[in-house]
Amino acid sequence: MKRSYRGVLLLSFVLFLNIVCTQQTVNAYYYEKYETVLLFCVLNLILFPLAFWIYKRERDVK
Amino acid sequence: MDQGQKGNIPFDEDNYTHNIHKDNERSLDRRSFMKLMVGAAGVFAVSTLPWGAIAAKELAGFSNKKYTAAKITDVSDLKVGEAMEFAYPGKHDSALLIRLGEDEFKAYQNACTHLKCPVFWSKEQGEMVCPCHHGVFDPKTGAPTAGPPRRPLPEIILEREQGVILATGVKRYET
Ligand code: FES
Repeated sequence: MKRSYRGVLLLSFVLFLNIVCTQQTVNAYYYEKYETVLLFCVLNLILFPLAFWIYKRERDVK
Repeated sequence: MDQGQKGNIPFDEDNYTHNIHKDNERSLDRRSFMKLMVGAAGVFAVSTLPWGAIAAKELAGFSNKKYTAAKITDVSDLKVGEAMEFAYPGKHDSALLIRLGEDEFKAYQNACTHLKCPVFWSKEQGEMVCPCHHGVFDPKTGAPTAGPPRRPLPEIILEREQGVILATGVKRYET
């Protein structure tokens, strides 16, 4: 049986972006660049609905 | 239920979990794995919230961040090439004052920018050294010159008044 790994791959990518954004948030915080902190914080928050959307689209794919 | 198992001992699946009947309980399939990944994305999102909240607070109350001047030491108490520890701006923000020359004083908050170990002044090397992972900082600028730290130490603004060294603020990072 051939499966679709697209969902898993896409979600892996989202998690990768999550790691990057979290790291950048903390870095910017210590550099006192608070606008950048907010930017990456919001990006990180947006990634969650995105992940959920991918999940909903991919969960029933055989 | 029983029909399938009659005369079928040991069970087909003799793996100690044959009595779990709940759906999907025994297998981590692709769908639940994806669910797990979505959950992880959620955890990441939530984990950045505190940072964002503090940043927003800093941005909102940016202008009223004031430092009060504090006396560190008398000039006569610190020989050239020596250093001393003090705390600024808060009681627990340890900092390091170095007398590089007759009239040259430099002070930095000395929590290492790698993992917060206290950085000390090495007179022999003429550098600030972090004992934890051998991070090295330039005493003239606070910039890291070796080891894992990547961010300069925050510099403390000094003033000299009648033989007394005062701390008046902490420099912000440029750019
Ligand atoms: S804590 Fe200073 S080098 Fe790691």
